Amino acid sequence: MALRYEYAVETEDLAKYYVMGPVTVRALDGVSVKIRRSEYLSIMGPSGSGKTTFFNMVGGLDRPTRGKVFIDEVDIASLDAYELAWLRAKKIGYIFQTFNLIPVLTALENVTLPMVFTGVEREERLRRAREMLTRVGLGERLDHKPGELSGGQQQRVAIARALVNDPVIVLADEPTGNLDLHTGLEIINLLKTLNTEKKVTIINATHDLKMIDVSDRIFWLRDGKIERIETRAEVAVKEIE
Amino acid sequence: MSGEEGVKFPLSEAFSFSLESIKRRFGRALVTMASIVLGISFLTFLLTTGRIVSVLYGEGSGVAVQFYQLWMAVIALLICSVGIVNSMLMSVTERYKEIGTMKCLGAMNTHVLEIFLIEALLLGLIGGLIGAVAGWTIATVWQAFTQASPVNIFMVSASLWTEFNASNPLLLLANPLIDIALSVVIALLAALAPAYIAAKLSPTEALRYEV
Ligand SMILES: Nc1ncnc2c1ncn2[C@@H]1O[C@H](COP(=O)(O)OP(=O)(O)OP(=O)(O)O)[C@@H](O)[C@H]1O
Ligand SMILES: [Mg+2]
Repeated sequence: MALRYEYAVETEDLAKYYVMGPVTVRALDGVSVKIRRSEYLSIMGPSGSGKTTFFNMVGGLDRPTRGKVFIDEVDIASLDAYELAWLRAKKIGYIFQTFNLIPVLTALENVTLPMVFTGVEREERLRRAREMLTRVGLGERLDHKPGELSGGQQQRVAIARALVNDPVIVLADEPTGNLDLHTGLEIINLLKTLNTEKKVTIINATHDLKMIDVSDRIFWLRDGKIERIETRAEVAVKEIE
Repeated sequence: MSGEEGVKFPLSEAFSFSLESIKRRFGRALVTMASIVLGISFLTFLLTTGRIVSVLYGEGSGVAVQFYQLWMAVIALLICSVGIVNSMLMSVTERYKEIGTMKCLGAMNTHVLEIFLIEALLLGLIGGLIGAVAGWTIATVWQAFTQASPVNIFMVSASLWTEFNASNPLLLLANPLIDIALSVVIALLAALAPAYIAAKLSPTEALRYEV
């Protein structure tokens, strides 16, 4: 049985600078936050405020310029290559803003991919991938390649891939960005169900107000810094005013 | 922590990945393979021709003949390598995004390397085989038609395949089997450098990479 940590994710003065000739872009500039286990968190902020950069750092996909990231109270900079790969394969499910599906693989094969690295049997992989794709409404599109799918369908393949390995943390970058109202709601409900039933920690970047309704807290990001942190109640009050 | 934790990627899995990748990108694989076939057939053709000629007209004891053979082998090897390196480089770099994605999903650097090296091995082997057979056949038939005694030439040429214990390493190169091995080695080396660089990038760096 895993230990119960209070915080799923913690960052300490997290920063990422991009030096481009004479200009330094401070994509992320000293973010210190604590995200509780099984919290549903939304990150909002204008384009270029650093949301994707924050995801990449928290997900252990890129090295920060400064600061630390703790997942389950372990500094991810201290993980060896093997542990880091396990973190990416099993603990965290990523839904990328740009989907990042592999073009030569079918929807089904794309979804089985993370299970390859966690050693799931071939038959079981296919079964779970089929089930997950059906849950996101793509049961009829299993053998289509990403190029033969619409943007919203590709996004749902990416969502299925992120969830298929039962991660404990889901990092979602605009997961409903390409979806219509109805499909978007279904995805939000799916994430919320995982959150309440399986206690999955959900961290998502969004401009979708429907997403705010189900979030426990909202981080407002601007120019790489946390501008303010609100609970859902506070947001709701503001809307009424 | 339970014992079953930790990423897995057995060799059989890597092999089926590589094979699938070649099948799915068959057009691309053909282009890569074509350059291997061309290079190796050119090399084999030159060396086979040189060997036939030297057997028929004196065993290469003269300094001039040896020098000529050396020069021929070096040039052929260079041309062959440049073609293979170029096409392997292309086929790895155009897949940086895929490498980044795989790493995001739990692939380790060694897994990425494995996939690309197995692919290179397969392409090098198949391309080398076709190239060596083609180069040898063309050289032999060509010589048989232009020289006096076709039977003799076929005998000499066929013996090249088993000519392992030659004291002169250059003569060894005229063995088409050695050319196939050479093809595999060059393909592996050519894939190794770009694949190693790509595998070492952080996932986001690989994803951002534009060819
Ligand atoms: N590889 C990079 N090189 C240079 N600058 C970068 C790089 N990646 C991001 N940036 C810069 O960092 C800042 C934050 O980018 P980021 O992608 O995190 O924004 P975002 O909040 O996700 O925006 P969006 O809502 O448009 O997706 C931007 O100003 C961007 O130009
Ligand atoms: Mg973004």
